[in-house]
Amino acid sequence: MALLNKNNQKLIHNLPLGGNIGIVGVPPLQAFTILHERQAIINDLDEPLVHKNMEETIGYLPRVYCAILRTVLLNSLHMKLDAIVMDVGPGKCDCALHVATIMSDTLSIPVITTRNMDDENFGTPLCRAEIPLSKKMSQITASIQDPTPAPAPTSCQPTAGFWGVPPRDFSLLDSFPATTHVYGWARCMENKTPANLALELHYNPTIPTVFFAQAFCAKTALAKHLASRHPRSLFLDADVTAGNSVQAKIQAFLELSGVSLDPC
Amino acid sequence: MSLAETEPRIMASKERPAHQQVDIGTGHNGKRYCHHYVNELTALARGGEALITDKNYVLLDCGSRDIKFVRYENGKIADMGWNAECGASMGFTIELLGHYYDIDYSTLAVPHRTFNVICGVLGMSHIFDAITNGASEAEAVARFVKGIAINAFRFAGSPAKIYLSGGLCANPLFVNSIPAETIPLGRFVLLKGLELYALQQDNQ
Repeated sequence: MALLNKNNQKLIHNLPLGGNIGIVGVPPLQAFTILHERQAIINDLDEPLVHKNMEETIGYLPRVYCAILRTVLLNSLHMKLDAIVMDVGPGKCDCALHVATIMSDTLSIPVITTRNMDDENFGTPLCRAEIPLSKKMSQITASIQDPTPAPAPTSCQPTAGFWGVPPRDFSLLDSFPATTHVYGWARCMENKTPANLALELHYNPTIPTVFFAQAFCAKTALAKHLASRHPRSLFLDADVTAGNSVQAKIQAFLELSGVSLDPC
Repeated sequence: MSLAETEPRIMASKERPAHQQVDIGTGHNGKRYCHHYVNELTALARGGEALITDKNYVLLDCGSRDIKFVRYENGKIADMGWNAECGASMGFTIELLGHYYDIDYSTLAVPHRTFNVICGVLGMSHIFDAITNGASEAEAVARFVKGIAINAFRFAGSPAKIYLSGGLCANPLFVNSIPAETIPLGRFVLLKGLELYALQQDNQ
């Protein structure tokens, strides 16, 4: 396990007992271990947690910007948090690094930045399990907060693939069959190695796969590139919400690729 | 049922009998009026499979309010796209402009110059600017239509040969403005897809 630097260890150790802590990306395992010792209430700020207008963020960020990071900022502006632990290393992105600076200058709470280089593989059983994809993705994002390996569900034979990050709008996942296997950065999340590029590059060429990235994210380049190498693929990006045309593309791609939407 | 009753025909939305529900439908308002809805991309792809004998092709549908395409390689779907935002209202705007300026598109030659149009609505300001700068109304509208055609062509991946579907197949200025070999299939490609879909359902 890669260790936090001493300054960050001290900062997280000194957070109030039972404090309300926001996290962004996948901070190092050691950060979660300390947060659990401090009995912190952990809030994943990458997910929409407040019902506020996204346009509020344009005072701080360009309108044409990653919807996940706009969501992080919106949550941070409205939630009563004691601190934010935000990964800004190669397992997240440069945009997060710059947004961390904006948040640090804007918010009145500590914004503790980490660079997660953890390289211990925890495995990816959820990514290969037969669970409705939206629920599976929720379990994957929740799993990063647990410093111990979760009970492994049984894996299933995949009929489709989803490569990419957890989308800003999980309804994008509703059209996939439960037998969809998860690849890309979401797989790195479950493995607790968000900076593992080799794992992120992995896909299954034998199953129809949707390569997804958030619009305006650097990962769109990788998603498009990998989709061009995969024999049965669809490159897809979406911004804040998954509109009708996005849903239709997924449904048409799966249907025309012969994917049964019935669970196995 | 007579042949006339099974031939496709166009009916204005306002003439549609109130509360009429059909067995199967597609299109942007389709969900409201049918018992079984088929997504437009699927209908387009199935229609293309029925009408096109090539194994490798691009089929682009240019309708009133969006553009979409499917690309097939070796007889299998390889790529697709649906632009309901930046491609919005292209066909609608072309028709509107034709009425407004009383233009017969079949008489207009493809202009040498074009506008960089990515949206039917936003692109209209180019027309007004060109007219202000001395272009005739017909010339300005023709540049606009060419800009729309080139944008749709690029959206479909700029293939050397392209099959066309949708109402804009009937607009020779639009079809001739696409810088590729074009094969218009008419506006009933999605309907053909629906027909196949319904037959499949019956067989199952």
